[in-house]
Amino acid sequence: MTEFRTIDVSGLPSYDVSSQSPLWWGQLMITFIEGTMFGILIAAYFYTRLRMDVWPPPGDQYPHLLLPSLALVPLILSCAGSYWASESAKKNSRLGMIAGLLLNLVLAVIALAMRIVEWHSLNFNWKADIQGSYVWAFLGLHTFDYIADLVFTAVLLVLVLIGRYGPKQRLGVHVDSVVWYFLVLIWIPIYVTIYWAPVFAGSQQ
Amino acid sequence: MKRAAVPAFALSVLYGCAWHQQSALNPGGPQAAKIDTLWWSFFWLLGVIFIIVMTVLLLTLTGRRANMEREALEVTHKASPQTESQTRRIVTGATIITILILFVLIVASVGTGKGIADLGFKKNPLTIQVTGNQWWWEIQYINGDASQTLVTANEMHIPVGRPVQILGQSQDVIHSFWVPNLHGKRDLIPSRTTNEWIEADQPGAYRGQCAEFCGLQHAHMALWVIAEPEDRFDAWMRAQLQPAASPSTQETIRGQQVFLNNACVFCHQIRGTTAGGQNAPDLTHFGSRRGIAANTVPNTKGNLAGWIVDPQSMKPGNHMATIAVNSTDLQPLVDYLESLK
Amino acid sequence: MTATQDFTPQIPNQAEEVEQLHRSWRHPRGVLGWLSYTTHQAIGTRYIITAFIMLLTGGAEALLMRTQLARPNNGFLSPDRYNEIFTTHGTTMMFLFAVPMMEGMAIYLVPLMCGTRNVAFPRLNAFGYWMFLFGVLFLYWGVFTNAAPDVGWFAYPPLSGPQFTPGKRTDYWAQMITFTEVSALCVATEIIATIFKMRAPGMSLNRMPLYVWSLLIQSFMVIFAMPAVVIASSYLLSDRTVATQFVNPAEGGDPILYQHVFWFFGHPEVYIIFIPALGFVSAIVVAHARREIFGYTAMVLAQIANGFIAFGLWVHHMFATGLPQIGEAYFTASSMMIAITSGVQIFCWLATLWTGRPRLTTALHFIYGFLVIFVVGGLTGVVLASVPLDWQVHDTYFVVAHFHYVLIGGALFPLFGAFYHWFPKITGRMMDEKIGRLNFWVLFIGFNLTFFPMHIQGLMGMPRRVYTYPAEMGWGPLNFIETIGAYIIGIGGILFIANVVSSHRSGRIAGNNPWDADSLEWATASPPENYNFEYLPVATSRYPLWVDRSERAFVTGLRNDRREALVTTLMDAEPHHRYVFPASSIWPFITAIAVTIGFAGSVFNPWYIVWGSVLSGLALVGWFWPRGDSEAES
Repeated sequence: MTEFRTIDVSGLPSYDVSSQSPLWWGQLMITFIEGTMFGILIAAYFYTRLRMDVWPPPGDQYPHLLLPSLALVPLILSCAGSYWASESAKKNSRLGMIAGLLLNLVLAVIALAMRIVEWHSLNFNWKADIQGSYVWAFLGLHTFDYIADLVFTAVLLVLVLIGRYGPKQRLGVHVDSVVWYFLVLIWIPIYVTIYWAPVFAGSQQ
Repeated sequence: MKRAAVPAFALSVLYGCAWHQQSALNPGGPQAAKIDTLWWSFFWLLGVIFIIVMTVLLLTLTGRRANMEREALEVTHKASPQTESQTRRIVTGATIITILILFVLIVASVGTGKGIADLGFKKNPLTIQVTGNQWWWEIQYINGDASQTLVTANEMHIPVGRPVQILGQSQDVIHSFWVPNLHGKRDLIPSRTTNEWIEADQPGAYRGQCAEFCGLQHAHMALWVIAEPEDRFDAWMRAQLQPAASPSTQETIRGQQVFLNNACVFCHQIRGTTAGGQNAPDLTHFGSRRGIAANTVPNTKGNLAGWIVDPQSMKPGNHMATIAVNSTDLQPLVDYLESLK
Repeated sequence: MTATQDFTPQIPNQAEEVEQLHRSWRHPRGVLGWLSYTTHQAIGTRYIITAFIMLLTGGAEALLMRTQLARPNNGFLSPDRYNEIFTTHGTTMMFLFAVPMMEGMAIYLVPLMCGTRNVAFPRLNAFGYWMFLFGVLFLYWGVFTNAAPDVGWFAYPPLSGPQFTPGKRTDYWAQMITFTEVSALCVATEIIATIFKMRAPGMSLNRMPLYVWSLLIQSFMVIFAMPAVVIASSYLLSDRTVATQFVNPAEGGDPILYQHVFWFFGHPEVYIIFIPALGFVSAIVVAHARREIFGYTAMVLAQIANGFIAFGLWVHHMFATGLPQIGEAYFTASSMMIAITSGVQIFCWLATLWTGRPRLTTALHFIYGFLVIFVVGGLTGVVLASVPLDWQVHDTYFVVAHFHYVLIGGALFPLFGAFYHWFPKITGRMMDEKIGRLNFWVLFIGFNLTFFPMHIQGLMGMPRRVYTYPAEMGWGPLNFIETIGAYIIGIGGILFIANVVSSHRSGRIAGNNPWDADSLEWATASPPENYNFEYLPVATSRYPLWVDRSERAFVTGLRNDRREALVTTLMDAEPHHRYVFPASSIWPFITAIAVTIGFAGSVFNPWYIVWGSVLSGLALVGWFWPRGDSEAES
């Protein structure tokens, strides 16, 4: 009694490494969540600044601009590694994935190292005053996400290196790049807020 | 307030006057009157809408419009095209009416807000700084002349017909200044000064209460606003500006010594004596006030004795220290404090 | 048996294929197995039951409060106890009952309504549940160790700050928020991915059931609103535990900023709760009025507009803080706009009921109850949107009345309607309609008796959150009536539980589609098997079960030896590729434990954030490590 119509889907692929995958959408939502969070924090920073007469608060040195600005170079370049890995994942090119992930990792670690060196030049901590609280919240949250994604990238690299990977892991490489672009992209307004806002939006009495 | 009269009367029949000492619907001044007028216009308009919607709701259960045919819904699950287009017209109409009504309400509301704002900044205002504390009100009459600056607590006197600017501040957490018969509430926020204009157009005692949750004894943080004719207000002001009356009887002299020799002085001030504490209500004219402990109880000798002996049972968690006053000292102390008119 | 009930196709080898499906979707055994479930029915049911227990807990707390307020100067509860109870009541109802309950219903229903076999990320789903459960346990551990929060459910600083609330009470509260927001964000993410990518072939966006639409909108609201409460609760927590200055007025922090951030979340939160409830209303109205919804497009647009407007009116919670006049006008207008979009929906339901053939089932009783109560709540909402009126009624019992009308009327009544409507699907048995109607009337009368007088009480000057009041104020009689009403609501709750228990045991067998309803969840067995559908259905209409037999279609060719479903395109739901769900797994549970160690520990020592992160990282590596077949390319 097969009077019902049927759609036979056995010919469809059982994976798809692209934005058609539910995982890609899940990852996109996570970037929305974090983007909103950082967006609110940046708005709160400027709200707070507008309520203060003196900015940065007395005793806080202006942050150095050179090192954090230089650190943008490896950071932005690391996206190229990420892109390379993600395109290779779509094409299932093992070598490309290894090279891309490796490039991504190395550049990201260099940028992170520069960021950590720069921390030592900040003469205030999060307890000192309201600017300290915000700057360290930005640094803490972003660095936390940053390291988490580095670990994830490293695990993927290991999986690809030892050959324990399939479409699922390739999809992982692909969505990992979404997260990475986001982390790099969101760093730019944060960087402007931390390092440039005291200069262009500051005032002394 | 004529417009309000009918429903307000209906409500007051239930409860008598008790209802009206802290009521948003029994205005004693122009600000509250404007809000009251706005409330009743909202009330009637929204009430009519409610009745119409409920009527339609009941009609879905019982009556049907005669020209709406009954279709074989069980089969098609669709109403006929005529019914659909007829319904669509009704729903569209209802939506347009909703938008129009809301527009009217927005205009009325914003207009009232503007009207209230215009009531401030009239000539010859009185400026009073109200500072919220856990759990009492400090009331300071601001005057360019320092000798005319008065600090009191939990009871505010204002002259009828003169605009009063309330500058709100807080020493600790957020409180909210609210005397519904005179105006809506305004928060008292640490590190900020808020601003509200009140005015009484008839003499009376208006009760207010903290309206923003401020901790354990939020429930017992009330104040009285006493509106008096200008001359009586001036007399009150003159009396309050005087230092405390010197005790005149044996009992009250002894009572003063008890007060001054105890820890009371660390927190309370009585001008004209050595008691100069600033952390708690000024007691210079304590006996003239209506209530004790931010109007937790009426100001009677019995209540005062109970309050001094065990403040924590009357208002648990409040910041007044329990001081061991022996029983022979208690009566003189109470007599002394009550003599501070 | 009507024609629509017979919705299962007959296909050669069917028995064999179903047997295979059975095996690949079987739950693992034992306690460890139980902790590893990842099917949406199991997780959804766990959410529903846990959240229902929270409803009862919050209800019991409400009864304690009402008992204290029954007469003036009552000594039944001490002020500190009262403050703890109202805080725990609000917190429980908002964070541990309402949102998780709506999520639980969504987790159960959305995959069924979309015609797929599970949510898109089953293990994330399980993880979300465990985080919610641990959040519940964390808060109530505080409650039972005499560390219940006592600064109100929105915990305004500086009262909630380290200076005025020492001890751990507020930290428990703030960290409980973190648990529930992680859970809510997990659910929102997977619901969006499920709705976008896993709908039945043919279920283009404009064929989606309104309930699914409501969940899509709600999930996006969660995504954009929850980060604000992450920040608000982190402000508090970090000020309290590592001495930051975010909301400390002495060091340039601003308590009003906390209010802005909190209400940027807090207002949408209310819509997060009641938009899914409006979805219930649409589903129930359609099924029980037996006609297609009137104004589908208008309904969808109104819901989307609701979702957007919800983010533009948070300041109406802060009118008493003193705002510039232009801000007041803007927020008055935006707050009132909600009445337009809500009005459109109400008109469309009324039109559907009017031109339909309503069957007065218990479920529909609750919908009528909803309409009455919600209209009142909506109208008082218009009052609150007006700045001058808000100055008077803000933070009084008028507001208490308003939000109970909106939340109980707007969410709880539809939820009870939903219980009566979907109970047959979830358990396979009908609920008793006679007790059901009694249940409705008791709740309806009790509710109005409790909350209607509060409007008057608020206008007569009674502020909220007072543990007692002087007799001279004249509020006693109304309070007494309200307390009686509250106990009547309690009786209504008991009736409901009694009905659930007896119907679960001996209710009439429901069959696949007892209401002759329209949507896909009724196309399969009651209760559904773990795989939901033997053959995934194709949606050939907006009301797929109301189309003619000859127009129905099914998906064949999925592998049954593993957990497979179909991914379709976002707009038109055309089949795109097959999708393998992960099998049952203990890792979500382990990860949740690791995260909990970090969250719970950090309340006492900030270093636990580090240890918790390391443990969670390890757990996540375990979670994602490939095992078994290396899934070679085919």
